Amino acid sequence: MDAGLTEQAGAKVAPEAETEFLQETRFHEPRTFHPLAWTAWIAAIVVILTLTRNPLYLALVIGLIALVLWRRAPVPAPDGHAVILSPLRFGLIVVTTAALFNVAMVHVGTTVLFALPAWIPLLGGPWTLEALVYGALNGVALAGLFAGFTVINRVLPVRSVLRLVPRAYYPVAVVMSIAVTFVPTTLAQIQQIREAQAVRGHRLRGVRSWLPLVIPLLEGGMERSLQLAEAMMARGFAGGSATTERWPQLAVLGGFVLIVAGWLLQLVWQQAAPGAALLVAGAVLLVGGLWRAGRSHPHTVYRPDRWQRWDWVIVAGALVAAGAYLLPLPGIDRGTIFYYPYPSLNWPGFDWRIGLATLGLAAPALW
Amino acid sequence: MIHFEHLSYTYPGAALPALQDISLMLPDGELILLIGASGSGKSTLLRCLNGLVPHFSGGALRGNVRVEGLDPVAATPRILSRHVGFVFQDPEAQFVTDRVEDEIAFALENAAMPPQEMRVRVEETLDLLDLTPLRDRPLKTLSGGERQRVAIAAALALRPSILVLDEPTSQLDPKSAEDVLNSLVRLNHDLGLTVILAEHRLERVLPFVDSVIYLPEDGRAPIYADPRTVMQRVELGPPLVQVGKALAWQPLPLTIKEGLRFSRGWLADHPSAAGVQHRRTEVDGATPFVEARGVQVRYGRQEVLRGVDLALHPGEIVVLMGRNGAGKTTLLRSLVGLVRPNAGTIRVGGTDIAGRDVADICRQVGYLPQDPNTLLFAESVREELFVTLRNHGVESGEWRLEIGDSEAPNLQSPLSTLLDRLGLADKADAYPRDLSVGERQRVALAAVTVTRPGALLLDEPTRGLDYGAKRGLEQLLVEWRDDGMAILVVTHDVELAAAIADRVVLMSQGEIIAEGAPAEVLGASPLFAPQIAKLFPETGWLTVDDVLGAS
Repeated sequence: MDAGLTEQAGAKVAPEAETEFLQETRFHEPRTFHPLAWTAWIAAIVVILTLTRNPLYLALVIGLIALVLWRRAPVPAPDGHAVILSPLRFGLIVVTTAALFNVAMVHVGTTVLFALPAWIPLLGGPWTLEALVYGALNGVALAGLFAGFTVINRVLPVRSVLRLVPRAYYPVAVVMSIAVTFVPTTLAQIQQIREAQAVRGHRLRGVRSWLPLVIPLLEGGMERSLQLAEAMMARGFAGGSATTERWPQLAVLGGFVLIVAGWLLQLVWQQAAPGAALLVAGAVLLVGGLWRAGRSHPHTVYRPDRWQRWDWVIVAGALVAAGAYLLPLPGIDRGTIFYYPYPSLNWPGFDWRIGLATLGLAAPALW
Repeated sequence: MIHFEHLSYTYPGAALPALQDISLMLPDGELILLIGASGSGKSTLLRCLNGLVPHFSGGALRGNVRVEGLDPVAATPRILSRHVGFVFQDPEAQFVTDRVEDEIAFALENAAMPPQEMRVRVEETLDLLDLTPLRDRPLKTLSGGERQRVAIAAALALRPSILVLDEPTSQLDPKSAEDVLNSLVRLNHDLGLTVILAEHRLERVLPFVDSVIYLPEDGRAPIYADPRTVMQRVELGPPLVQVGKALAWQPLPLTIKEGLRFSRGWLADHPSAAGVQHRRTEVDGATPFVEARGVQVRYGRQEVLRGVDLALHPGEIVVLMGRNGAGKTTLLRSLVGLVRPNAGTIRVGGTDIAGRDVADICRQVGYLPQDPNTLLFAESVREELFVTLRNHGVESGEWRLEIGDSEAPNLQSPLSTLLDRLGLADKADAYPRDLSVGERQRVALAAVTVTRPGALLLDEPTRGLDYGAKRGLEQLLVEWRDDGMAILVVTHDVELAAAIADRVVLMSQGEIIAEGAPAEVLGASPLFAPQIAKLFPETGWLTVDDVLGAS
């Protein structure tokens, strides 16, 4: 979408083009995909990482995430606060913790590393290599999820994500967008208050000494909220609209209930066909209700994200990858997905067709 | 056309009305300035224009308001948003999104404007306020003036015919304030937009406005007339107007250019007047109370202070000036230990502050941060002072008696004396946050000076203050100076600097570039010269008192 937009903007400001162009591009990501395409991509990753514990597939998926992370979402320039945990560090911590936890709690497996006396609750018994490996694999899957969401966090601006919120929940989206901008201001405010109190000799000691920090923060926050509410009202924002019909909301609620029921039927009671019917009915109700409710809430979107050709490729890639793990397709050895190291460590199987399908996740890294 | 007819309004729970029997008729296409002391009802009157009063505030409204034939009370702020754009004091508190374009589009999205039309509208609005180069910028990367221009653009997106601004420049430095005011003047001249502006900085806007509304505090009828007539009749005014009134210049000059026509002739008639001697504190050789030597501060790779030397002696007021980002606030903060220098030493009362904590240093050096609200949290003004004392572990003698016995304060106690001096004697039991801006600031001042520090540092103390509150602050600082306190003020306010400074220090890019008597440093600079210095060049005069004292 950007090539087109920058061109248009550039044409409009032609006379002073040079400096302006520099400033424009500085804050423009080189290439963006539609938020829905990214949603499909992250959904596929969530599905695959929750399903498989096969170390080969896990490694493949994480490698592809790393590729996308490197191509699409380089580390943001440090602006003081934006540095959250790096995926690598998080991965190390989570893999270690999960492995240790599993090996200490699960005393199954044949390769015994050492044994603690059985009378110790929980920890007692043999500590096995198999439990260690399985715990680590769980940790790897979690780390992969974290890495996937790190990509999303870096490539998708908050406003794009909020545009995915159905129209009926526009006020909710606005509130969320405010919250996103409110948090940094509040953090800055805390720092200011802390300094102001230190200046009058305040030292942090005990619970009561928090009072001088909390009260100005609350009062300041209250004042700012009121000001913002006033400003929004002055610009024609109306919170809940009074004319909302009742049935779309009921339809949304009913849709949710049906989907949960269908899912339970399929998974817990193994009723495939009725379960699927309920799922479909629930989905129809949900979408219909949201659509109807959205119509009663008039507003439009500025510069909506445009759907491009490569967005199709990303969605197709995500579908192929997730489908290979989800669907009982002929000619695919789905057994390789489910890997258990118990009772004794064994070499995981690998179906090259699944591996090939998994490569679909690399689509965002191609341009 | 805006029409107020016997408008009275009382806030919910308030005993006295905020507005009383206001009748005004304002024509279209004018640039109208609304003045009055804080608490005179300026904000309330402006909010009646788009129905925020009484729709948002509640309370009881009597009388009639008509804006373009609409009744804001019957119609809602939502309807009025198409006719009246509103800009608030603090640019940050009115932003809904985090990007320039999105912020401008917000009102259009609410109005369900078709996307194609919306593109055009946003584009035009960006051009209107010269924001095109900033269109993709996150709001948090903008300067204060740029933010306020975005806020104006956002208010104009729906193409209202009236733009209302409630003290839009009170939180800005002079350069940004000028940018904002210039944009307003252009909008009014080029588009014929009706602009109604509440503002304390009269000197910048007076030359451009078509008419002025003065709201008296005591509920008398407002004065609405052309600027010269109103300035003639009200007490507050910029130095130029004060001199013009005192010397009976007619017609009253509103710009330096107009004033120079009178001042040249007047100086020729009073040849002996020029060359007044300024009070000059003899500090050479005295031991400074606060002393910085070769102070360097780096944030990451950015050098904020590059070897600053500064000495602050007892009994002098030093004013520190310079552009935004020159390092003024950083220097101030490093003097009380809030920022630790990478190199150099800072001494307070003769001892190095390295290794001492902030609380400890602040017993000797009072520090008033920019926003006094961050300081106040106690139940009453008196309690605020006790908290500081308790923090510092002051329990001996005169103070202890009072802490144990706060129900019956001794009238001769140092605490009452301090409150008296700050004009807060009758507010000792008031809830600090209910007070006016000026009073709140004085409570904060009391809270940081109750330990009687040898030095006082103030960061932008005149932000948001009206003329009366500003004059009160000037008197207070001068009194303290005469008692032997060492005072350092960081400010953009040249008139404040002219009024109180014994010495002016100019900073740029982390270095001190000029230092000396105010007449030398301020008088020569085109950016920092006060009105009087421009009006009477080469006389060494800086304030109205200099001129009147000479005549």
